[in-house]
Amino acid sequence: MWSGILLALAVYALFGLVPAVANTVVSFTNYALYPGAPVNFTGWSNYTAMFTSERPGFMQALVATVVFVTAVTIAQNVFALAVAHRLVRDTRWNGLLRVLVFLPIVLGVTIVGLVWILFFEPGQGPAASLWGLFGAKSAFFGSDTLAFPLVIGVQVWQNIGFSALVFLGGLNAIDPQIYQAAEIDGVTRWRRLSKITFPMLAPAVTVNVLLAVVGSFTTYNLIYVLTAGQYGTMTLGMLSFTAAFTDSNLGYGAALGTVLFLMTFIVALPLMMYLRHREARLLS
Amino acid sequence: MTATSLRPASRPATAQRRRPASPLRRLRFWARLVTGLLIAVVFLGPVLYVVLISFETPAHFLTHPMTPPSGADLSNFSKAWTGADLATELINTVIYSVVASALSTLLALLIAFPLARKLVRGHRQLYTLLVVGLFLPLAYIPLFIEARMLDLYNNMPGYIILHVGFGPNLPLGVVLLYAFIQAVPKELDEAAWLDGTSYLTYLLRVIVPLTRPALLISFLYGMLQVWNDIIGPVVLFAGTSTNLFPITRGIYYFFGLNESLYTIFAAAVTIASLPLVIVFAGTQRQLIRAAVAGSLKG
Repeated sequence: MWSGILLALAVYALFGLVPAVANTVVSFTNYALYPGAPVNFTGWSNYTAMFTSERPGFMQALVATVVFVTAVTIAQNVFALAVAHRLVRDTRWNGLLRVLVFLPIVLGVTIVGLVWILFFEPGQGPAASLWGLFGAKSAFFGSDTLAFPLVIGVQVWQNIGFSALVFLGGLNAIDPQIYQAAEIDGVTRWRRLSKITFPMLAPAVTVNVLLAVVGSFTTYNLIYVLTAGQYGTMTLGMLSFTAAFTDSNLGYGAALGTVLFLMTFIVALPLMMYLRHREARLLS
Repeated sequence: MTATSLRPASRPATAQRRRPASPLRRLRFWARLVTGLLIAVVFLGPVLYVVLISFETPAHFLTHPMTPPSGADLSNFSKAWTGADLATELINTVIYSVVASALSTLLALLIAFPLARKLVRGHRQLYTLLVVGLFLPLAYIPLFIEARMLDLYNNMPGYIILHVGFGPNLPLGVVLLYAFIQAVPKELDEAAWLDGTSYLTYLLRVIVPLTRPALLISFLYGMLQVWNDIIGPVVLFAGTSTNLFPITRGIYYFFGLNESLYTIFAAAVTIASLPLVIVFAGTQRQLIRAAVAGSLKG
Protein backbone atom coordinates (compact mmCIF):
# COMPACT_ATOMS: atom_id res chain seq x y z
CA MET A 1 0.00 0.00 0.00
CA TRP A 2 2.69 2.46 1.01
CA SER A 3 4.79 1.80 -2.06
CA GLY A 4 1.79 2.62 -4.24
CA ILE A 5 1.07 5.84 -2.36
CA LEU A 6 4.69 6.93 -2.43
CA LEU A 7 5.12 6.14 -6.11
CA ALA A 8 2.03 8.15 -7.06
CA LEU A 9 3.01 11.03 -4.79
CA ALA A 10 6.59 11.06 -6.08
CA VAL A 11 5.51 11.29 -9.72
CA TYR A 12 2.89 13.92 -8.91
CA ALA A 13 5.30 16.01 -6.83
CA LEU A 14 8.19 15.76 -9.26
CA PHE A 15 6.34 16.62 -12.48
CA GLY A 16 3.19 18.29 -11.22
CA LEU A 17 4.00 20.34 -8.12
CA VAL A 18 7.71 21.07 -8.51
CA PRO A 19 7.46 22.76 -11.94
CA ALA A 20 4.55 24.92 -10.76
CA VAL A 21 6.57 26.16 -7.77
CA ALA A 22 9.91 26.24 -9.54
CA ASN A 23 8.52 28.64 -12.13
CA THR A 24 8.78 31.45 -9.59
CA VAL A 25 12.34 30.44 -8.69
CA VAL A 26 13.41 30.44 -12.36
CA SER A 27 11.81 33.86 -12.82
CA PHE A 28 14.46 35.36 -10.48
CA THR A 29 17.35 34.01 -12.53
CA ASN A 30 18.90 34.74 -15.90
CA TYR A 31 18.51 31.09 -16.96
CA ALA A 32 19.21 30.95 -20.69
CA LEU A 33 19.18 28.18 -23.27
CA TYR A 34 22.70 28.78 -24.55
CA PRO A 35 25.00 25.91 -23.63
CA GLY A 36 27.44 26.87 -20.89
CA ALA A 37 25.68 30.10 -20.00
CA PRO A 38 26.09 30.79 -16.26
CA VAL A 39 22.91 30.81 -14.18
CA ASN A 40 22.72 33.58 -11.59
CA PHE A 41 20.05 35.00 -9.37
CA THR A 42 19.25 38.42 -10.73
CA GLY A 43 16.62 39.61 -8.28
CA TRP A 44 13.65 41.45 -9.72
CA SER A 45 15.38 42.39 -12.97
CA ASN A 46 13.16 40.12 -15.09
CA TYR A 47 10.12 41.84 -13.63
CA THR A 48 11.37 45.40 -13.99
CA ALA A 49 12.50 44.60 -17.56
CA MET A 50 8.86 44.17 -18.59
CA PHE A 51 8.30 47.91 -18.27
CA THR A 52 11.40 48.99 -20.15
CA SER A 53 12.12 49.19 -23.85
CA GLU A 54 14.77 46.53 -23.27
CA ARG A 55 12.02 43.91 -23.55
CA PRO A 56 9.21 45.36 -25.64
CA GLY A 57 5.81 43.80 -26.03
CA PHE A 58 4.66 43.39 -22.45
CA MET A 59 2.07 46.17 -22.47
CA GLN A 60 0.64 45.10 -25.85
CA ALA A 61 0.46 41.52 -24.61
CA LEU A 62 -1.32 42.67 -21.47
CA VAL A 63 -3.95 44.52 -23.53
CA ALA A 64 -4.29 41.60 -25.95
CA THR A 65 -4.78 39.19 -23.04
CA VAL A 66 -7.53 41.33 -21.50
CA VAL A 67 -9.31 41.63 -24.87
CA PHE A 68 -8.91 37.90 -25.53
CA VAL A 69 -10.23 36.84 -22.11
CA THR A 70 -13.19 39.23 -22.19
CA ALA A 71 -14.25 38.43 -25.76
CA VAL A 72 -13.80 34.66 -25.41
CA THR A 73 -15.62 34.46 -22.08
CA ILE A 74 -18.64 36.43 -23.27
CA ALA A 75 -18.93 34.87 -26.74
CA GLN A 76 -18.31 31.32 -25.55
CA ASN A 77 -21.01 31.50 -22.88
CA VAL A 78 -23.61 33.31 -24.98
CA PHE A 79 -23.27 30.90 -27.90
CA ALA A 80 -23.03 27.86 -25.65
CA LEU A 81 -26.21 28.85 -23.84
CA ALA A 82 -28.01 29.32 -27.14
CA VAL A 83 -26.80 25.94 -28.39
CA ALA A 84 -27.73 24.21 -25.12
CA HIS A 85 -31.17 25.78 -25.15
CA ARG A 86 -31.70 24.53 -28.69
CA LEU A 87 -30.45 21.00 -27.97
CA VAL A 88 -32.05 20.41 -24.58
CA ARG A 89 -34.85 18.14 -25.82
CA ASP A 90 -33.81 14.49 -26.09
CA THR A 91 -34.53 13.81 -29.75
CA ARG A 92 -32.41 11.71 -32.05
CA TRP A 93 -31.31 14.72 -34.12
CA ASN A 94 -30.36 16.66 -31.04
CA GLY A 95 -28.22 13.74 -29.89
CA LEU A 96 -26.36 13.87 -33.19
CA LEU A 97 -25.95 17.64 -33.02
CA ARG A 98 -24.55 17.39 -29.48
CA VAL A 99 -21.87 15.03 -30.78
CA LEU A 100 -21.05 17.46 -33.61
CA VAL A 101 -20.73 20.40 -31.23
CA PHE A 102 -18.37 18.33 -29.05
CA LEU A 103 -16.27 17.17 -32.02
CA PRO A 104 -13.72 20.06 -31.94
CA ILE A 105 -12.75 19.14 -28.38
CA VAL A 106 -11.97 15.59 -29.46
CA LEU A 107 -10.06 16.70 -32.55
CA GLY A 108 -7.81 18.88 -30.40
CA VAL A 109 -6.13 22.23 -30.98
CA THR A 110 -3.68 21.09 -33.65
CA ILE A 111 -6.26 19.57 -35.98
CA VAL A 112 -8.75 22.37 -35.26
CA GLY A 113 -6.12 25.03 -35.90
CA LEU A 114 -5.00 23.44 -39.16
CA VAL A 115 -8.59 22.94 -40.35
CA TRP A 116 -9.25 26.66 -39.92
CA ILE A 117 -5.94 27.58 -41.54
CA LEU A 118 -7.09 25.64 -44.60
CA PHE A 119 -10.55 27.20 -44.41
CA PHE A 120 -9.07 30.71 -44.29
CA GLU A 121 -6.32 30.01 -46.80
CA PRO A 122 -5.95 33.42 -48.49
CA GLY A 123 -5.67 32.14 -52.08
CA GLN A 124 -8.06 29.23 -52.57
CA GLY A 125 -10.00 28.77 -49.32
CA PRO A 126 -13.78 29.07 -49.08
CA ALA A 127 -13.53 32.18 -46.92
CA ALA A 128 -11.39 33.87 -49.58
CA SER A 129 -13.97 32.96 -52.25
CA LEU A 130 -16.72 34.41 -50.08
CA TRP A 131 -14.72 37.59 -49.54
CA GLY A 132 -14.08 37.68 -53.27
CA LEU A 133 -17.83 37.88 -53.97
CA PHE A 134 -17.75 41.29 -52.31
CA GLY A 135 -14.59 42.22 -54.10
CA ALA A 136 -12.63 42.08 -50.85
CA LYS A 137 -9.32 40.42 -50.14
CA SER A 138 -7.70 39.49 -46.86
CA ALA A 139 -4.75 37.54 -45.58
CA PHE A 140 -6.97 36.33 -42.68
CA PHE A 141 -4.56 34.76 -40.15
CA GLY A 142 -1.81 36.85 -41.74
CA SER A 143 -3.75 40.11 -41.45
CA ASP A 144 -3.09 42.67 -38.75
CA THR A 145 -6.76 43.56 -38.43
CA LEU A 146 -8.46 40.17 -38.87
CA ALA A 147 -6.05 37.71 -37.28
CA PHE A 148 -6.96 38.47 -33.67
CA PRO A 149 -10.77 38.36 -34.12
CA LEU A 150 -10.37 35.11 -36.06
CA VAL A 151 -8.20 33.56 -33.36
CA ILE A 152 -10.82 34.53 -30.78
CA GLY A 153 -13.51 33.02 -33.01
CA VAL A 154 -11.68 29.71 -33.38
CA GLN A 155 -11.00 29.53 -29.63
CA VAL A 156 -14.73 30.01 -29.01
CA TRP A 157 -15.69 27.51 -31.72
CA GLN A 158 -13.39 24.91 -30.22
CA ASN A 159 -14.77 25.26 -26.69
CA ILE A 160 -18.49 25.89 -27.22
CA GLY A 161 -19.21 22.17 -27.03
CA PHE A 162 -17.81 21.90 -23.53
CA SER A 163 -19.68 24.93 -22.16
CA ALA A 164 -22.86 23.82 -23.91
CA LEU A 165 -22.64 20.44 -22.18
CA VAL A 166 -22.33 22.10 -18.79
CA PHE A 167 -25.37 24.27 -19.61
CA LEU A 168 -27.24 21.17 -20.80
CA GLY A 169 -26.51 19.52 -17.47
CA GLY A 170 -27.84 22.63 -15.72
CA LEU A 171 -30.98 22.74 -17.87
CA ASN A 172 -31.71 19.08 -17.30
CA ALA A 173 -31.37 19.56 -13.55
CA ILE A 174 -34.32 21.97 -13.49
CA ASP A 175 -37.44 20.24 -12.17
CA PRO A 176 -40.00 20.03 -15.03
CA GLN A 177 -42.81 20.52 -12.51
CA ILE A 178 -41.77 24.16 -12.13
CA TYR A 179 -42.39 24.68 -15.84
CA GLN A 180 -45.71 22.87 -15.68
CA ALA A 181 -46.82 25.05 -12.79
CA ALA A 182 -45.72 28.17 -14.66
CA GLU A 183 -47.58 27.06 -17.79
CA ILE A 184 -50.78 26.50 -15.82
CA ASP A 185 -50.41 29.96 -14.35
CA GLY A 186 -50.15 31.33 -17.88
CA VAL A 187 -46.60 32.62 -17.57
CA THR A 188 -45.32 33.62 -21.02
CA ARG A 189 -42.48 31.82 -22.72
CA TRP A 190 -40.11 34.76 -22.43
CA ARG A 191 -40.85 35.29 -18.74
CA ARG A 192 -40.37 31.58 -18.09
CA LEU A 193 -36.92 31.88 -19.67
CA SER A 194 -35.92 34.96 -17.72
CA LYS A 195 -37.56 34.19 -14.37
CA ILE A 196 -37.08 30.42 -14.12
CA THR A 197 -34.49 29.07 -16.55
CA PHE A 198 -31.85 31.72 -16.21
CA PRO A 199 -31.79 31.97 -12.39
CA MET A 200 -31.82 28.19 -12.06
CA LEU A 201 -28.80 28.01 -14.34
CA ALA A 202 -26.67 30.03 -11.92
CA PRO A 203 -24.41 27.11 -10.86
CA ALA A 204 -23.73 26.24 -14.51
CA VAL A 205 -22.98 29.91 -15.24
CA THR A 206 -20.46 29.95 -12.39
CA VAL A 207 -18.65 26.88 -13.71
CA ASN A 208 -18.67 28.06 -17.31
CA VAL A 209 -17.56 31.63 -16.67
CA LEU A 210 -14.71 30.52 -14.43
CA LEU A 211 -13.57 27.83 -16.85
CA ALA A 212 -13.66 30.26 -19.76
CA VAL A 213 -11.78 32.97 -17.84
CA VAL A 214 -9.06 30.69 -16.47
CA GLY A 215 -8.86 28.77 -19.75
CA SER A 216 -8.51 31.83 -21.97
CA PHE A 217 -6.01 33.47 -19.63
CA THR A 218 -3.65 30.51 -19.61
CA THR A 219 -3.97 28.68 -22.93
CA TYR A 220 -2.00 29.71 -25.95
CA ASN A 221 -1.65 26.39 -27.79
CA LEU A 222 -4.28 27.39 -30.35
CA ILE A 223 -2.59 30.76 -30.89
CA TYR A 224 0.70 28.90 -31.34
CA VAL A 225 -0.81 26.77 -34.12
CA LEU A 226 -2.74 29.57 -35.85
CA THR A 227 -0.37 32.56 -35.81
CA ALA A 228 2.47 31.80 -33.37
CA GLY A 229 1.66 35.16 -31.78
CA GLN A 230 2.15 37.26 -34.90
CA TYR A 231 -0.24 39.89 -36.32
CA GLY A 232 -1.37 41.25 -32.98
CA THR A 233 -2.23 37.90 -31.38
CA MET A 234 0.59 37.90 -28.81
CA THR A 235 -1.09 37.25 -25.47
CA LEU A 236 0.87 36.97 -22.23
CA GLY A 237 0.92 33.16 -22.31
CA MET A 238 2.20 33.21 -25.89
CA LEU A 239 4.76 35.89 -25.03
CA SER A 240 6.04 33.82 -22.11
CA PHE A 241 6.43 30.81 -24.40
CA THR A 242 8.14 32.87 -27.11
CA ALA A 243 10.52 34.52 -24.65
CA ALA A 244 11.54 31.15 -23.26
CA PHE A 245 11.69 28.88 -26.28
CA THR A 246 12.24 31.21 -29.24
CA ASP A 247 14.38 33.88 -27.61
CA SER A 248 16.04 31.33 -25.28
CA ASN A 249 15.40 33.48 -22.22
CA LEU A 250 13.86 31.05 -19.74
CA GLY A 251 14.16 33.43 -16.78
CA TYR A 252 12.17 36.20 -18.45
CA GLY A 253 9.62 33.71 -19.79
CA ALA A 254 9.12 32.34 -16.29
CA ALA A 255 8.64 35.87 -14.93
CA LEU A 256 5.92 36.50 -17.52
CA GLY A 257 4.37 33.16 -16.56
CA THR A 258 4.31 34.18 -12.90
CA VAL A 259 2.69 37.52 -13.75
CA LEU A 260 0.10 35.67 -15.82
CA PHE A 261 -0.61 33.26 -12.97
CA LEU A 262 -1.03 36.12 -10.48
CA MET A 263 -3.32 37.98 -12.87
CA THR A 264 -5.47 34.91 -13.38
CA PHE A 265 -5.68 34.44 -9.63
CA ILE A 266 -6.51 38.11 -8.94
CA VAL A 267 -9.31 38.07 -11.52
CA ALA A 268 -10.65 34.57 -10.91
CA LEU A 269 -10.88 34.62 -7.11
CA PRO A 270 -13.16 37.69 -6.68
CA LEU A 271 -15.11 36.54 -9.73
CA MET A 272 -15.68 33.16 -8.12
CA MET A 273 -16.81 34.79 -4.87
CA TYR A 274 -19.17 37.08 -6.78
CA LEU A 275 -20.63 34.20 -8.82
CA ARG A 276 -21.16 32.02 -5.76
CA HIS A 277 -22.86 34.96 -4.05
CA ARG A 278 -25.03 35.43 -7.13
CA GLU A 279 -25.99 31.74 -7.06
CA ALA A 280 -27.10 32.02 -3.46
CA ARG A 281 -29.14 35.14 -4.26
CA LEU A 282 -30.84 33.71 -7.35
CA LEU A 283 -31.58 30.27 -5.97
CA SER A 284 -32.96 31.34 -2.61
CA MET B 1 -54.83 22.31 -42.29
CA THR B 2 -52.38 19.45 -42.49
CA ALA B 3 -51.62 19.66 -38.80
CA THR B 4 -55.25 19.23 -37.81
CA SER B 5 -56.05 16.49 -40.33
CA LEU B 6 -53.30 14.32 -38.81
CA ARG B 7 -54.99 14.32 -35.44
CA PRO B 8 -57.19 11.35 -34.49
CA ALA B 9 -60.82 12.09 -35.26
CA SER B 10 -61.90 10.89 -31.84
CA ARG B 11 -60.40 13.96 -30.15
CA PRO B 12 -61.94 16.88 -31.99
CA ALA B 13 -62.03 19.03 -28.86
CA THR B 14 -58.23 19.27 -28.49
CA ALA B 15 -57.76 19.72 -32.19
CA GLN B 16 -60.13 22.62 -32.18
CA ARG B 17 -58.56 24.19 -29.13
CA ARG B 18 -55.07 24.03 -30.64
CA ARG B 19 -55.92 25.18 -34.11
CA PRO B 20 -55.24 28.90 -33.53
CA ALA B 21 -51.71 28.06 -32.38
CA SER B 22 -50.86 26.16 -35.53
CA PRO B 23 -49.12 28.94 -37.57
CA LEU B 24 -46.98 29.68 -34.55
CA ARG B 25 -46.18 26.01 -34.23
CA ARG B 26 -45.20 25.81 -37.84
CA LEU B 27 -42.95 28.83 -37.34
CA ARG B 28 -41.35 27.12 -34.37
CA PHE B 29 -40.77 23.98 -36.41
CA TRP B 30 -38.98 25.98 -39.09
CA ALA B 31 -37.01 27.89 -36.51
CA ARG B 32 -35.83 24.61 -35.00
CA LEU B 33 -34.94 23.22 -38.40
CA VAL B 34 -32.97 26.30 -39.39
CA THR B 35 -31.11 26.57 -36.08
CA GLY B 36 -30.37 22.85 -36.14
CA LEU B 37 -28.97 23.07 -39.66
CA LEU B 38 -26.97 26.15 -38.69
CA ILE B 39 -25.34 24.28 -35.81
CA ALA B 40 -24.56 21.33 -38.09
CA VAL B 41 -23.05 23.55 -40.81
CA VAL B 42 -20.99 25.65 -38.39
CA PHE B 43 -19.50 22.66 -36.60
CA LEU B 44 -19.23 20.12 -39.38
CA GLY B 45 -18.68 22.44 -42.35
CA PRO B 46 -14.99 23.33 -41.94
CA VAL B 47 -14.06 19.74 -41.07
CA LEU B 48 -16.02 18.41 -44.04
CA TYR B 49 -14.36 20.95 -46.33
CA VAL B 50 -10.91 19.65 -45.37
CA VAL B 51 -11.98 16.05 -45.95
CA LEU B 52 -13.42 16.99 -49.36
CA ILE B 53 -10.37 18.85 -50.67
CA SER B 54 -8.14 15.98 -49.56
CA PHE B 55 -9.75 14.00 -52.43
CA GLU B 56 -9.04 16.68 -55.03
CA THR B 57 -6.03 16.67 -57.30
CA PRO B 58 -3.73 19.64 -56.59
CA ALA B 59 -4.29 20.93 -60.14
CA HIS B 60 -8.07 20.85 -59.80
CA PHE B 61 -7.87 22.56 -56.42
CA LEU B 62 -5.74 25.39 -57.78
CA THR B 63 -7.90 26.09 -60.82
CA HIS B 64 -11.41 25.43 -59.46
CA PRO B 65 -11.07 25.60 -55.69
CA MET B 66 -14.77 25.74 -54.89
CA THR B 67 -16.10 23.06 -57.24
CA PRO B 68 -16.43 19.47 -56.08
CA PRO B 69 -13.73 17.05 -57.18
CA SER B 70 -14.28 15.25 -60.46
CA GLY B 71 -13.57 11.92 -58.81
CA ALA B 72 -12.00 10.52 -55.68
CA ASP B 73 -8.28 11.01 -56.04
CA LEU B 74 -6.26 9.11 -53.45
CA SER B 75 -2.80 10.33 -54.43
CA ASN B 76 -2.89 13.02 -51.71
CA PHE B 77 -3.24 10.34 -49.08
CA SER B 78 -0.32 8.27 -50.29
CA LYS B 79 1.84 11.39 -50.62
CA ALA B 80 0.89 12.58 -47.13
CA TRP B 81 1.41 9.12 -45.66
CA THR B 82 4.97 8.83 -46.93
CA GLY B 83 5.88 12.54 -47.02
CA ALA B 84 4.90 13.32 -43.44
CA ASP B 85 5.99 9.91 -42.15
CA LEU B 86 2.54 9.49 -40.64
CA ALA B 87 2.96 5.80 -39.87
CA THR B 88 5.83 6.38 -37.43
CA GLU B 89 4.12 9.37 -35.89
CA LEU B 90 0.84 7.54 -35.43
CA ILE B 91 2.63 4.68 -33.67
CA ASN B 92 4.51 7.20 -31.50
CA THR B 93 1.27 8.97 -30.61
CA VAL B 94 -0.48 5.72 -29.70
CA ILE B 95 2.47 4.68 -27.50
CA TYR B 96 2.69 8.06 -25.76
CA SER B 97 -0.99 8.51 -25.12
CA VAL B 98 -1.91 4.92 -24.22
CA VAL B 99 1.07 4.22 -21.96
CA ALA B 100 1.11 7.62 -20.24
CA SER B 101 -2.62 7.59 -19.63
CA ALA B 102 -2.66 3.97 -18.45
CA LEU B 103 0.15 4.72 -16.01
CA SER B 104 -1.46 7.87 -14.62
CA THR B 105 -4.75 6.01 -14.20
CA LEU B 106 -2.95 3.19 -12.38
CA LEU B 107 -1.14 5.64 -10.09
CA ALA B 108 -4.43 7.43 -9.45
CA LEU B 109 -5.95 4.12 -8.34
CA LEU B 110 -2.98 3.31 -6.10
CA ILE B 111 -3.39 6.57 -4.20
CA ALA B 112 -7.15 7.10 -4.45
CA PHE B 113 -7.99 3.83 -2.68
CA PRO B 114 -6.06 4.38 0.59
CA LEU B 115 -7.23 8.01 0.65
CA ALA B 116 -10.89 7.15 0.07
CA ARG B 117 -10.67 4.46 2.77
CA LYS B 118 -8.89 6.87 5.16
CA LEU B 119 -6.10 4.32 5.65
CA VAL B 120 -3.36 6.91 6.08
CA ARG B 121 -2.94 9.80 8.44
CA GLY B 122 -3.46 13.17 6.79
CA HIS B 123 -5.62 11.65 4.05
CA ARG B 124 -7.72 14.81 3.86
CA GLN B 125 -4.69 17.06 3.37
CA LEU B 126 -3.21 14.68 0.80
CA TYR B 127 -6.46 14.67 -1.15
CA THR B 128 -6.53 18.48 -1.14
CA LEU B 129 -2.92 18.53 -2.35
CA LEU B 130 -3.90 16.32 -5.28
CA VAL B 131 -7.00 18.37 -6.13
CA VAL B 132 -4.78 21.46 -6.30
CA GLY B 133 -3.14 19.79 -9.31
CA LEU B 134 -6.28 20.41 -11.36
CA PHE B 135 -5.69 24.15 -11.13
CA LEU B 136 -1.92 24.39 -11.40
CA PRO B 137 -0.60 26.43 -14.29
CA LEU B 138 1.12 24.38 -16.98
CA ALA B 139 4.68 25.43 -16.22
CA TYR B 140 6.58 24.29 -19.30
CA ILE B 141 9.72 26.28 -18.53
CA PRO B 142 10.71 24.50 -15.28
CA LEU B 143 9.49 21.23 -16.75
CA PHE B 144 11.87 21.70 -19.65
CA ILE B 145 14.78 22.41 -17.26
CA GLU B 146 13.83 19.39 -15.16
CA ALA B 147 13.60 17.17 -18.23
CA ARG B 148 17.11 18.14 -19.29
CA MET B 149 18.52 17.59 -15.79
CA LEU B 150 16.93 14.15 -15.41
CA ASP B 151 17.78 13.05 -18.94
CA LEU B 152 14.11 12.89 -19.86
CA TYR B 153 14.54 15.40 -22.68
CA ASN B 154 14.18 14.29 -26.30
CA ASN B 155 13.49 10.63 -25.62
CA MET B 156 10.47 8.38 -25.59
CA PRO B 157 10.43 7.11 -21.99
CA GLY B 158 11.07 10.65 -20.77
CA TYR B 159 8.17 12.07 -22.73
CA ILE B 160 5.88 9.37 -21.30
CA ILE B 161 7.03 9.78 -17.69
CA LEU B 162 6.68 13.56 -17.84
CA HIS B 163 3.14 13.24 -19.16
CA VAL B 164 2.18 10.85 -16.36
CA GLY B 165 2.79 13.51 -13.71
CA PHE B 166 2.33 16.69 -15.68
CA GLY B 167 -1.07 18.26 -16.33
CA PRO B 168 -4.46 17.46 -14.87
CA ASN B 169 -4.66 13.73 -15.73
CA LEU B 170 -3.42 12.23 -12.45
CA PRO B 171 -5.44 14.59 -10.20
CA LEU B 172 -8.54 14.09 -12.33
CA GLY B 173 -8.17 10.32 -12.06
CA VAL B 174 -7.84 10.59 -8.29
CA VAL B 175 -10.95 12.77 -7.99
CA LEU B 176 -13.03 10.44 -10.19
CA LEU B 177 -11.85 7.24 -8.50
CA TYR B 178 -12.16 8.67 -4.99
CA ALA B 179 -15.90 9.17 -5.48
CA PHE B 180 -16.36 5.71 -7.02
CA ILE B 181 -14.36 3.88 -4.34
CA GLN B 182 -16.41 5.49 -1.58
CA ALA B 183 -19.47 3.88 -3.16
CA VAL B 184 -17.90 0.41 -2.81
CA PRO B 185 -19.07 -1.11 0.52
CA LYS B 186 -16.34 -1.38 3.13
CA GLU B 187 -17.58 -4.86 4.09
CA LEU B 188 -15.91 -6.12 0.92
CA ASP B 189 -12.54 -4.90 2.22
CA GLU B 190 -13.03 -6.62 5.55
CA ALA B 191 -14.11 -9.90 3.97
CA ALA B 192 -11.06 -9.91 1.73
CA TRP B 193 -8.81 -8.98 4.64
CA LEU B 194 -10.13 -11.95 6.67
CA ASP B 195 -9.56 -14.23 3.69
CA GLY B 196 -5.95 -13.13 3.63
CA THR B 197 -6.16 -11.66 0.12
CA SER B 198 -3.18 -9.44 -0.59
CA TYR B 199 -3.69 -5.70 -1.01
CA LEU B 200 -2.75 -5.59 -4.67
CA THR B 201 -4.80 -8.66 -5.59
CA TYR B 202 -7.77 -7.13 -3.83
CA LEU B 203 -7.38 -3.87 -5.74
CA LEU B 204 -7.11 -5.61 -9.10
CA ARG B 205 -9.74 -8.31 -8.52
CA VAL B 206 -12.40 -6.36 -6.64
CA ILE B 207 -11.90 -2.61 -6.87
CA VAL B 208 -10.95 -2.45 -10.56
CA PRO B 209 -14.12 -4.21 -11.82
CA LEU B 210 -16.32 -2.13 -9.51
CA THR B 211 -14.82 1.20 -10.55
CA ARG B 212 -14.55 0.42 -14.24
CA PRO B 213 -16.55 3.49 -15.44
CA ALA B 214 -14.26 5.88 -13.53
CA LEU B 215 -11.14 4.06 -14.74
CA LEU B 216 -12.35 4.19 -18.32
CA ILE B 217 -13.18 7.90 -18.15
CA SER B 218 -9.85 8.69 -16.53
CA PHE B 219 -8.02 6.68 -19.17
CA LEU B 220 -9.92 8.12 -22.14
CA TYR B 221 -9.64 11.69 -20.94
CA GLY B 222 -5.93 11.31 -20.23
CA MET B 223 -5.36 9.72 -23.62
CA LEU B 224 -7.08 12.60 -25.36
CA GLN B 225 -4.95 15.11 -23.44
CA VAL B 226 -1.66 13.47 -24.39
CA TRP B 227 -2.80 12.77 -27.95
CA ASN B 228 -3.74 16.40 -28.60
CA ASP B 229 -0.79 18.01 -26.84
CA ILE B 230 1.13 20.34 -29.13
CA ILE B 231 3.18 22.51 -26.75
CA GLY B 232 4.57 19.42 -24.97
CA PRO B 233 6.26 17.94 -28.04
CA VAL B 234 7.53 21.38 -29.10
CA VAL B 235 9.19 21.90 -25.73
CA LEU B 236 10.30 18.37 -24.88
CA PHE B 237 11.70 17.22 -28.24
CA ALA B 238 14.50 18.84 -30.19
CA GLY B 239 13.18 20.53 -33.34
CA THR B 240 14.75 18.01 -35.67
CA SER B 241 13.97 14.70 -33.93
CA THR B 242 11.17 13.96 -36.36
CA ASN B 243 11.26 10.23 -35.65
CA LEU B 244 10.16 10.95 -32.05
CA PHE B 245 7.35 13.35 -32.95
CA PRO B 246 3.76 12.52 -32.16
CA ILE B 247 1.35 13.19 -34.98
CA THR B 248 0.34 16.67 -33.78
CA ARG B 249 3.91 17.90 -33.87
CA GLY B 250 4.73 15.96 -37.02
CA ILE B 251 1.84 17.30 -39.00
CA TYR B 252 2.56 20.86 -37.88
CA TYR B 253 6.17 20.42 -38.91
CA PHE B 254 5.07 18.96 -42.25
CA PHE B 255 2.82 21.97 -42.80
CA GLY B 256 5.72 24.34 -42.19
CA LEU B 257 7.69 22.61 -44.94
CA ASN B 258 4.87 22.31 -47.49
CA GLU B 259 2.71 25.34 -46.97
CA SER B 260 1.54 25.41 -50.58
CA LEU B 261 0.58 21.75 -50.96
CA TYR B 262 -2.87 22.21 -49.52
CA THR B 263 -4.56 19.06 -50.79
CA ILE B 264 -1.79 16.79 -49.52
CA PHE B 265 -1.84 18.65 -46.29
CA ALA B 266 -5.62 18.25 -46.00
CA ALA B 267 -5.14 14.53 -46.52
CA ALA B 268 -2.61 14.44 -43.67
CA VAL B 269 -5.07 16.27 -41.38
CA THR B 270 -7.80 13.83 -42.39
CA ILE B 271 -5.62 10.81 -41.61
CA ALA B 272 -4.54 12.30 -38.28
CA SER B 273 -8.08 12.98 -37.14
CA LEU B 274 -9.50 9.62 -38.22
CA PRO B 275 -8.34 7.60 -35.17
CA LEU B 276 -9.75 10.26 -32.84
CA VAL B 277 -13.10 10.26 -34.61
CA ILE B 278 -13.26 6.45 -34.42
CA VAL B 279 -12.41 6.34 -30.71
CA PHE B 280 -14.83 9.19 -30.08
CA ALA B 281 -17.65 7.49 -31.99
CA GLY B 282 -17.24 4.42 -29.79
CA THR B 283 -17.02 6.23 -26.48
CA GLN B 284 -18.80 9.58 -26.93
CA ARG B 285 -21.35 8.85 -24.21
CA GLN B 286 -18.70 8.27 -21.51
CA LEU B 287 -16.50 11.13 -22.72
CA ILE B 288 -19.29 13.67 -22.77
CA ARG B 289 -20.38 12.59 -19.31
CA ALA B 290 -16.78 12.84 -18.12
CA ALA B 291 -16.38 16.33 -19.50
CA VAL B 292 -19.37 17.51 -17.52
CA ALA B 293 -18.42 15.62 -14.36
CA GLY B 294 -14.87 16.93 -14.63
CA SER B 295 -16.07 20.50 -14.85
CA LEU B 296 -18.64 20.39 -12.08
CA LYS B 297 -16.27 19.55 -9.28
CA GLY B 298 -14.28 22.72 -10.09
